[in-house]
Amino acid sequence: MNNWHRLVWNQRDALLAGLQVTVEVCVISVLCAIVGGLVLCLVRMYVRPLRPIATVLIEFFRATPIVVQLLWVAYAWPELFGWPNSFFDAAWCALAVQSSGYLAETFRGGIEAIPRGQREAAFSAGMSPVLVFRRIILPQVLLSSAPSIVNQFTVIVKSSALVSVITVQDLMFQSQKIVNISYEPIEILTATAAIYIVVIYLVSAAGKALADRLRMSYGIAAR
Amino acid sequence: MSNSLREFFDLGIFWEYRSVLLRGLAVNFYVFLAAAALALSVGLGAALLRISRLRILRTLGTLHVEIFRNAPEYVMIVWVHFVLPLLIGLLLHTRFEFNPFVSAMIALGFVYSGYFAETFRAGIEAIPIAHLEAARSLGMGEGLVLRRIVLPQVVRRMLPESINQFISLFKATTIVYLIAVPDLMYQVSMITQERMRPLPLYSGAALTYFAIVLMVGSSLRVLADRWRARIVA
Repeated sequence: MNNWHRLVWNQRDALLAGLQVTVEVCVISVLCAIVGGLVLCLVRMYVRPLRPIATVLIEFFRATPIVVQLLWVAYAWPELFGWPNSFFDAAWCALAVQSSGYLAETFRGGIEAIPRGQREAAFSAGMSPVLVFRRIILPQVLLSSAPSIVNQFTVIVKSSALVSVITVQDLMFQSQKIVNISYEPIEILTATAAIYIVVIYLVSAAGKALADRLRMSYGIAAR
Repeated sequence: MSNSLREFFDLGIFWEYRSVLLRGLAVNFYVFLAAAALALSVGLGAALLRISRLRILRTLGTLHVEIFRNAPEYVMIVWVHFVLPLLIGLLLHTRFEFNPFVSAMIALGFVYSGYFAETFRAGIEAIPIAHLEAARSLGMGEGLVLRRIVLPQVVRRMLPESINQFISLFKATTIVYLIAVPDLMYQVSMITQERMRPLPLYSGAALTYFAIVLMVGSSLRVLADRWRARIVA
């Protein structure tokens, strides 16, 4: 118990700072993944000349392992596009890229599930395509894909442990730093694993409850 | 920009090291096979615990599933490689170490056993109870019912979902290079340090995994659909 106090409790500031970085990376990247997934899905469905590019990108993002993508974004993108300039940007960007591919396919399913009649009714009421998308399609798609978005968020949190590989100072980075100083891995690594498991469990339980409640209150039955 | 684009398509350096890289890729497949075998057997065990009649066993099964499904693979690999041997050493009063390959197999196998347990359980629960009653009334023992009646149907039902899980497991094998298992990514990072040209090397690695996952994944899905159609129909 003494060891736990010395190695874990006394290091709580470092661990909390790491947890904060983890949360920042995950929240930024899930928001970007939703936007990126929507853009990819819309381009794939409605912009005919760019469709092959969007399809290849979606498949590429979905089929490449996250650590490969992380290194690719961190080391190859700066040479290719001149961005990202910091490893923090590379970290959330790589996580977002992976999830946007999955979310694009979910959104496509959601859009295709909306009855044609609704779109036709909106058009005949004089709405512009942008307005139809914003008022009729988008709300329904976001509601019907809420469970997948929650699921992707937990995937992002799980993969975010890997951003320590490119020296982003997240929870995993901080705990490995403590191990490298103290040479006593048992307590600190066990505590880190427990923190991750509890956080991800809570995120997925809370996310599921939230998604179900939203869907219930808008009349879509919970699965 | 045009310079770096040219370098992106200049995968010559990737080709130059093909024998080393291929050996690395083989290691990926070994890790995958070992972890998949472990995940399937532990997953089946956990699924059987979760549908057991004893509450304590059910709780144990649920605990197993929730812990391993919510654990990040990287954290588990680090924990198994650096903590588990110390704990075993404390118990046995000796110095104890895992080969990185063994750590990778245990960590990935246990993480994915959580997912497979849920797939198995869904498959088992979808079997009509009448099948079990009929088999028991013919005098089959529990083991025989499981082997002859339950598992063949479960395998067929869980095939589509388990293909997805096998693909994620294969993708997850890329992180084993972080504990120095000499897989493809390990070789790529070694060559990068030697030649200082990250762009073609990391792009080549990404394209290689992309091609493998896409081809193996889609052909597995086609094969599985055909096999299911032949047996079920």
